[in-house]
Amino acid sequence: MNFTSDLYLIYPEIVLTATLIVVVLFDLIFKRSQSWLPVLSLTGILAAFIFVVMQYGTNLPAFEYSTKNSLLSIDNLSTYFKGIILVTSFFIVLFSIFSSEIKSCKDRHGEYYSLLVGMMIGMFFLVSSNDLILIYLSMELLSLSSYVLSGFVKKSIRNSEASLKYVIYGSVSSGIMLFGISLLYGLTGTTNLNEINTILRGTNVIDISFILSIFMILAGFGFKISVVPFHFWTPDVYEGSPITITAYLSVASKAAGFAVLIRFIKSVFFSGISQGGYWNLLSYFDWQVVLVLISIVTMTLGNFTALWQDNLKRMLAYSSIAHAGYILLGVAVLSDQGITSVLIYFAIYMFMNLGAFLVVMLIANKIGSENIDDYRGLGYSIPFLGTVLAIFLVSLTGLPPTAGFIAKLYLFVALVDAKMIVVAIIALLNTVVSLYYYIRVLKNMYLVKDVIKTVHIQLKPLSFVTILLLVIPVLLFGIYFTPIVDFAKLSIQILGL
Amino acid sequence: MNIYDLIFYLFAALTLISAFFVVTNKNIVHSAFYLLFTFFGVAGIYVLLGADFVAIVQLIVYVGGILILLLFGVMLTNKITNVEIKTGTINIFSATIGVGLFAGVLLAAVLYAPWKVTLLQEPVSTTGILGNLLMNEYVLVFELLGIILLIALIGAASIARR
Repeated sequence: MNFTSDLYLIYPEIVLTATLIVVVLFDLIFKRSQSWLPVLSLTGILAAFIFVVMQYGTNLPAFEYSTKNSLLSIDNLSTYFKGIILVTSFFIVLFSIFSSEIKSCKDRHGEYYSLLVGMMIGMFFLVSSNDLILIYLSMELLSLSSYVLSGFVKKSIRNSEASLKYVIYGSVSSGIMLFGISLLYGLTGTTNLNEINTILRGTNVIDISFILSIFMILAGFGFKISVVPFHFWTPDVYEGSPITITAYLSVASKAAGFAVLIRFIKSVFFSGISQGGYWNLLSYFDWQVVLVLISIVTMTLGNFTALWQDNLKRMLAYSSIAHAGYILLGVAVLSDQGITSVLIYFAIYMFMNLGAFLVVMLIANKIGSENIDDYRGLGYSIPFLGTVLAIFLVSLTGLPPTAGFIAKLYLFVALVDAKMIVVAIIALLNTVVSLYYYIRVLKNMYLVKDVIKTVHIQLKPLSFVTILLLVIPVLLFGIYFTPIVDFAKLSIQILGL
Repeated sequence: MNIYDLIFYLFAALTLISAFFVVTNKNIVHSAFYLLFTFFGVAGIYVLLGADFVAIVQLIVYVGGILILLLFGVMLTNKITNVEIKTGTINIFSATIGVGLFAGVLLAAVLYAPWKVTLLQEPVSTTGILGNLLMNEYVLVFELLGIILLIALIGAASIARR
């Protein structure tokens, strides 16, 4: 039990904490030079990214307090998700530089960036924690920062409404999750995931209270990944928050939620692995049925509600609910192949979803609206942004030759290999439904010509480069996807199993 | 039923009844005062469980600190006592069914659970043990709590300033 020797395992987290403190102090001391804050945050993110890259391949428990019981697991799965979170954060800081919503709060940038770094720290601990106490606390850190950030622009009533709704739903779901954790602790006498697994293998504790406690913990995870019974907050919060935060919540926060869900299922219920990489789980809780049911309802509801949305942000919110449903199907396969497809999906989803939000933000900066009717004829007045948005929306639908197709392809292959044909067909039909609302935007942009108004958006070099950074991977991974697939296959390793 | 059970039910009843008044009372100042009894009842249950440190923290932080802040907040906020807290749409019927079902499942779970049982021990002072745990095994959790408090401070400042 020597903790100082484990410190090198949490260098990325330490770097981010240092960034947080530097941002706060810089904001207090140099009140005038607020424009340096994003640069500071970007430096911190890059430094943390270097440490994360160096950490890849490490499979060690950190902060062990007795044999086999550690607070953190530094393994490939957590390192992969940390990479996704950092890349997303990098783009979000870039977005924030040219978001007019964030610019309008000139003197509060210090708080904005420090809370953003706070979210990162919370997600970092969430993806690698191996103990229910740490899972709960890091989730609270993540939620606390995002509550404030979603209501950041205080002049806008929509922002405050989003923040309030987020706080109410968030505190109820984290309360339920805490209750579930306390029930589980009462049944097993430990909060460590591996130790719970050992106890479950030993004695027969199948019981209504055990199942209930798992459902209650699932409520906390489900809130973070916004799947169906816990999705009510998503449209309102996504619509009301500043676009940068909406994009961040829809990618990074979801990635962290999925990482902790995968780790929880595998660490607590794992009993062995069979031919073809399928997990044998302890039979106390039928994860497959529960997850498949939740994901089918989630994607169907997300896609069908998105059909009626006229606000583009709200439509993207429902589309992100639908995508959470697809990704959950990958988890529901409960095999190494399924998790690989989840990891591939996340890497691609990150680029395409961030890109779609970025273009919507750049257009909203100019025309001050996200309404689909205001997009009439935009394809002709701003051809570049129109084309880019078209690429992102086609990719979100999942059509070749974009990367979204590869993401969906690997997911469906995993489903078919696991002989879940019916589920795969339902998911496929859902994709067809989603085609309608994504293409509707394109139809408004290109086929409805609005002669009265012409919008001109002069792109700054930085925003131009950011768009290229997002659109090139979406096109490239659509054709040349072997590296991302190989990388994902290496990254499914979970410590101790 | 021995004296221990009797005291437990006394505190539990105090907690539940005052919590009921907290949510049903129309006057927010009265609600705040009922909250005092809820916190006090919980502190009593902590004492019964032998968690002396948590009980004292509950008294000092919740009863002593948070409640006073809450009352000050109510007093300093203009006209808050006259604000109608309840909203227009209340679905008493469906809410009762939902909450009733949830409560029933919870009750069943708590009554029939095969709880992990440890032998009854003579209560010892937990402050030292707790400090040791926080500084050794759970030092990471302790540091993370520090970050959470910092974020909470920054967030509160961000919400409060104009």
